[in-house]
Amino acid sequence: MKPNQKRAWLFLAPTIIFVTFFSIYPILRAFIMSFQGGPLINMAWNGVSNYQYIFHDPEFWLALKNTILYSLISVPVALAISIMLAWFIFSKVKSKSFFETTFFMPYVTSTIAIGIVFRYIFNGDYGLLNFILRTLHLPAPNWIDDPAMSLTTIILFGIWTSLAFNIVILMGALRNIDPNYYTIANMYGASGTEKFWRITMPQLIPTIAFLLTMNIIAAFKIYTSVYALFNGQAGVGNSATTAVFYIYNKFQIVGTPGVAMAATVVLFLIILFITFLQRKMMKKIGGR
Amino acid sequence: MKFSKKLAAFAAIGLALIGTAACSKSNNSSSSDKIPSKITKKTTVVFWHGMVGVQQSTLQKLTQEFEKQNPKINVKLESQGSYNDLQAKINSTLQSPNNLPTITQAYPGWLWNAAQNKMLVNLTPYINNKNVGWGSAKASDIRTELLDDAKIKGTQYGIPFNKSIETLTYNEDMFKKYGIKKVPTTMEELKNASETIYKKSNHKVVGAGFDSLSNYYVLGMKDNGVNFNDKIDFSGSTSKKVINYYADGIKKGYFRVAGSEHYLSGPFANEKVAMFIGTSAGEGFVKQGVGNKFTYNVAARPGKYTMQQGTDIYMFNHASADQKAAAFKYIKFLVSKSSQLKWANATGYIPVNNAVINSKEYKNNTDLKLPAKLSSSMKYLYSVPVEKNSNATYSQLNSIIQTILSAAQKNQNVNNAINAGKTKFDAAWKQ
Repeated sequence: MKPNQKRAWLFLAPTIIFVTFFSIYPILRAFIMSFQGGPLINMAWNGVSNYQYIFHDPEFWLALKNTILYSLISVPVALAISIMLAWFIFSKVKSKSFFETTFFMPYVTSTIAIGIVFRYIFNGDYGLLNFILRTLHLPAPNWIDDPAMSLTTIILFGIWTSLAFNIVILMGALRNIDPNYYTIANMYGASGTEKFWRITMPQLIPTIAFLLTMNIIAAFKIYTSVYALFNGQAGVGNSATTAVFYIYNKFQIVGTPGVAMAATVVLFLIILFITFLQRKMMKKIGGR
Repeated sequence: MKFSKKLAAFAAIGLALIGTAACSKSNNSSSSDKIPSKITKKTTVVFWHGMVGVQQSTLQKLTQEFEKQNPKINVKLESQGSYNDLQAKINSTLQSPNNLPTITQAYPGWLWNAAQNKMLVNLTPYINNKNVGWGSAKASDIRTELLDDAKIKGTQYGIPFNKSIETLTYNEDMFKKYGIKKVPTTMEELKNASETIYKKSNHKVVGAGFDSLSNYYVLGMKDNGVNFNDKIDFSGSTSKKVINYYADGIKKGYFRVAGSEHYLSGPFANEKVAMFIGTSAGEGFVKQGVGNKFTYNVAARPGKYTMQQGTDIYMFNHASADQKAAAFKYIKFLVSKSSQLKWANATGYIPVNNAVINSKEYKNNTDLKLPAKLSSSMKYLYSVPVEKNSNATYSQLNSIIQTILSAAQKNQNVNNAINAGKTKFDAAWKQ
């Protein structure tokens, strides 16, 4: 065993070097910078004042609130819809590959491009969505230019964009379920609902746990879709500002990298905590 | 073991390569302050800019012309995207000065920290140099206000290049249709004209709007005698007066904002709004959008002051003496009479050069409406003062006013929104 271990270090070396330089070092650097003040070129020790600043900044709280609401609403809803659609395609639709491709299309398209198209769909005056709502005599809110609607708009957009990836992964998981389970269930005359809840869902748990973790992390890092939907800003009056928007703005535009890094550390801790919680929860549910 | 040795050797080579790559951008800075009178060696000048569309193609044409005249100098134009991207790029590159360009377009506010850390070149010796400069600032014929605005803490770090002002763009046909005889010159007249248009068009056409809400607020305060600084009481009576002027218009429907479209040139071209206040550099877009649908015209911004905006060119300290001299020659070429004439005529930016503003070739330009109106439009110029956090507060202001005006749109209490805005406004100054 011993000689093997020495050699293992050698094989691991490239990865270790890359991970140290490009993952661990940035995290440490961000952590150190969060205690420093001044511009990027001339940073000086600043104590905890960056943390004090962000915790007193209403903009930061708004950003956190928006991010958390976005994650907690869009991820479960998107996942539920994805499971429904995937199950529907898997069990009812004949030309599966066609629908799979169709549903996967948004994933390979750039978010910016989709965002621009949705900006027109959501437009309050001439948007497609409001045209449909009006013909159905439903209220047609100003999706883009009303600060009160910004978060709703992003959530809707977020749900739509995450469907693609979810469905494809879920389809893969559904195919991997042993068909004998269903054959036996049919023999005993199980109903469709029973089959879904007793066989399909338990078999899907690991995949759902994986998707939930990935989606939550991605949701906490939301930036591009906000940027694209609201044409380069975080909604009218910064109403849809998110944690990453806040960090970017403080770092690049305002020029206070210390404050930005303090916010980064806080966001990092939140994501860490939620991921940890999720894993615990999933272990309990999955019984693994 | 042989294999592991090989692997180790590879790893060592790899690391060595990374090391040399990191070091190859060696320091070529020179401490000599002597300005060479002639460029004898091949010299490359890197220029970061944020120009797009016709602005970029005109800049490329001008640069080619310069390179023809100065075969020893090679100017590398590097587009960095929008102004925000350019600002972010400069900000993050300031950390490794050797990767900075020779010169860049920038607002002075972006380079406040760079100036504090002595990373910029004081251009006064170059201006006063007879070989690469003009001999004196006066001889350059650049408008004094513009030159003053390119100073950081009193030092001339920048030379104004692509400058614009805010103007009023209006629909002449609509003015005739709804009986507006006089183009508004004061804010009061603007309000009255807008109200008339909104009423006579049966609420189909909104009277007016402002593209930049930051500018709206800053100039509104300036017209009331208040300069833009951290002493402004955002919920004070003057501030409230300025905000309520716009908020009232929005409540009653005769004013509007650009919202997420950022510019009103679109709604203007679609005859949804009769006039708007925006940058003169946008005239190209207005012209394109309006086409033959109606006649538009340009007038001075209502009120006394107008915003002077757009970037200057700044030079970084790390370059060699030859590069600096070559870069300055290039800057001198860009702001020369002939270049500025081509530049202004093609883009809608205002000439920085007095000789061009008053020249016949410029005034008689019929492609754009601005040239004939320019000298009357820029009597009183104002710009965002270069102070700590003024740039950050200025950009924050846009979202603060947006929030207040959308409260007005929904007939909510504007006063509460102003008080909430005050917290953000004060926080922006103190970061």
